[in-house]
Amino acid sequence: MKDKSEWEPKIVGLLCKWCSYAGADLAGTSRRKYPANIRILKVPCSGRIDPLFILKGLRLGFDGVLVSGCHPGDCHYQTGNYRARRRIAITKKFLEYMGVQPPRVQASWVSASEGDRFAEIASEVTKEVTEVGANRLFDEEREIHGAKTEERS
Amino acid sequence: MEQKLRNEAKALLEEGKVDYIVGFESGSLKFTTTPLITKDKNDVGRLVVNPFIANNLAKFLTELKGRVGIVAKGCDSRSIVSLIQDNKVARANVVILGVPCEGIIDLSKVEKLAGRDRDEIGEISRQGDKVSVTVDGQKSAFPISDVVFDKCLSCELPTPKECDVLLGEPASPIGQKAAGQADIERLKGKTPQERWEVWKKEFSRCIRCYACRNVCPACFCQRCFVEETEPKWVEPTANWQDNLLFQAVRNIHVAGRCTDCSECERACPMNIPLSLVNRKLEKEGADLFDYQAGTDPDAKAPLATFKKDESLGIGQ
Repeated sequence: MKDKSEWEPKIVGLLCKWCSYAGADLAGTSRRKYPANIRILKVPCSGRIDPLFILKGLRLGFDGVLVSGCHPGDCHYQTGNYRARRRIAITKKFLEYMGVQPPRVQASWVSASEGDRFAEIASEVTKEVTEVGANRLFDEEREIHGAKTEERS
Repeated sequence: MEQKLRNEAKALLEEGKVDYIVGFESGSLKFTTTPLITKDKNDVGRLVVNPFIANNLAKFLTELKGRVGIVAKGCDSRSIVSLIQDNKVARANVVILGVPCEGIIDLSKVEKLAGRDRDEIGEISRQGDKVSVTVDGQKSAFPISDVVFDKCLSCELPTPKECDVLLGEPASPIGQKAAGQADIERLKGKTPQERWEVWKKEFSRCIRCYACRNVCPACFCQRCFVEETEPKWVEPTANWQDNLLFQAVRNIHVAGRCTDCSECERACPMNIPLSLVNRKLEKEGADLFDYQAGTDPDAKAPLATFKKDESLGIGQ
């Protein structure tokens, strides 16, 4: 078991292939440093992101979820990010109501040329998620047929 | 009203304007009603309209091929409008027989008040804003607000707005929108941890029978994410974590289309307060997108459309 001071958050980054993923790539190729806490998943478009992905991320034990796509107006598929914006906005509000601390679900727009901006956002998100602490939402020891089993999340 | 409905239904079938009539008939248990789906004009005599027509029949629309004449209360008509918006049903293929609704009586509430099982109750009848219940020949009256479903207490649209035939005089709402927000406000006053504990407790009862989903008129996916195996999004076993994930995602999926008909809550065998979830989402949809589900068949569902110049607090 790690010491609390050693604890580092794990964050899943759902990045759109055309902008944010390329932005993250640029951050790397231009040798900008950003926290390695973000594990990146490439999606074809931010419009592909089902609210299910966000919840599944939390269910799997990620401490935070970062959703990022092209700036409004720049979507490769014209309107994907506009739709994503509405979907994510309502998901964020709803998860807050359910009892998920708001910093766990983050969203931003990063273009392919904004490597620096991606690095900044990654650091910011990591900082905020570190502040809210480890994701214990789905943790629990629970009893199955009288025997205690440790939840594997 | 009942006779008018029967006449209308008969005429529709005889003139060939509809292929099916979907309405209510008396159920096999006392006071209950059950859906009646018929092609036969001789069946229309079985149609009933009474304060026990609880089901939201809009669910059947997506499953019936052809033109359908459907009996709809205020809330049901909103579900139908939602389906029209989503292109699941063509407006031209539905004849909405609107029932002005004065509140649907929740039998379990009556049982609780009368202290008797429904089989032992002689008669339940409505007089003005009172409901009189006869037990062992003795009449007792209860205020209507004590015996109707919770959803009726926050219903402001009891008369179907979108309908072809209105079967009676428009009804005045017995509820107020704000009534439905009281318990949500109470939840909002708690800390995130406390709220999560509340849901954890509620959803640990869920047995994942999927009755909530199956009864929901807004849940019309051919294939639901909970049944996908590749990738497997949720475990099929009922544990509170996956139950919570299922309920949260299902409700986000129907956000903007859910009209708070509360069929999910009524169908739930474990009495989980599901309307606490979707009432909140309905409110969020209304606040974020200035939209009320199921009121305008020409409008687009909020999550199927967008405005270019809204920020919604996303991205800096």
